[in-house]
Amino acid sequence: MTENQHSDNHAVSPKPESAVKHLISFLIMIILTAAAFYVVIKSGSVVAEHLILPLILVFAVIQVFLQLFTFMHLGQKGSAYYAIFIMLGIVIAVISAVGIILM
Amino acid sequence: MATHTEASRSPHMPNHLETATFEGRNKVLGFWLFLGAETVLFACLFGTYLALRHQTMGGPSGHELFDLKLVGLATAFLLTSSLTSVLAILAMNQLKKKVMMFWLAVTVLLGLAFLILEINEFIHYVHEGHTFTSSAFGSSFYALVGTHGAHVTFGIIWISTLMLQAAGRGITEEMAPKLFVASLYWHFIDVVWVFIFTLVYLLGKVG
Repeated sequence: MTENQHSDNHAVSPKPESAVKHLISFLIMIILTAAAFYVVIKSGSVVAEHLILPLILVFAVIQVFLQLFTFMHLGQKGSAYYAIFIMLGIVIAVISAVGIILM
Repeated sequence: MATHTEASRSPHMPNHLETATFEGRNKVLGFWLFLGAETVLFACLFGTYLALRHQTMGGPSGHELFDLKLVGLATAFLLTSSLTSVLAILAMNQLKKKVMMFWLAVTVLLGLAFLILEINEFIHYVHEGHTFTSSAFGSSFYALVGTHGAHVTFGIIWISTLMLQAAGRGITEEMAPKLFVASLYWHFIDVVWVFIFTLVYLLGKVG
């Protein structure tokens, strides 16, 4: 987002944020969810059994990033601190979870 | 237009009423810190569950218990409610109160539908002999999924009471951060559920 755009937005009544971006990311989430369920229901025949967990985990992580960056507006101008807080939380969370599982 | 100058001086997220004031920006910032802490809370519960999920003490295992059709339906409810709550926030930033209230109401109803499914599921499990005290699997399962359910319950109460407040006060610079933060909370609940259906239900079916 350029500085020019920003001053434009404040000069007149703000230009509304489009819902299209959110609808697209919702569609991707639904597809990823359906794919994860499909892979598990057809266990073994679509994807080798030992690859199912990494695959559905990847699907989940993509969904999380879609939620964060579209629905929760992370990554927009002025959201650097929000990103630092949540990323720090995620780092500690992953360390805690992996630590507990391996204990 | 005190807020106008405030917003221009500090260009935080144009088009966003929730960060139009200093207080609003601080609320959103503080809430992201809270979400960071919540992430750690749920990660610990996930770690515990994944470490203990095979310790069924002769009781039913996840593979026998979980019904993916119901879980899929619950997932659809929660995912859709995440979309409707973001649509409410878009309407809020366009100052369309009626549209916003409609989407908030849909969000709450979808949340309630999810909760009813989950309560029925738990009742069914208890009849199958899968309780909080039956095994380590049971304890860690109910601690994780139950904490998520408690968050959903709280989110429903929070958004409903905010709707009552917004109905009276309208969309103001004071209301906007409250509504935005509630929607962040709701998205977070959905993010946690994505991991629950992946790591608890789908992984339970894989074995």
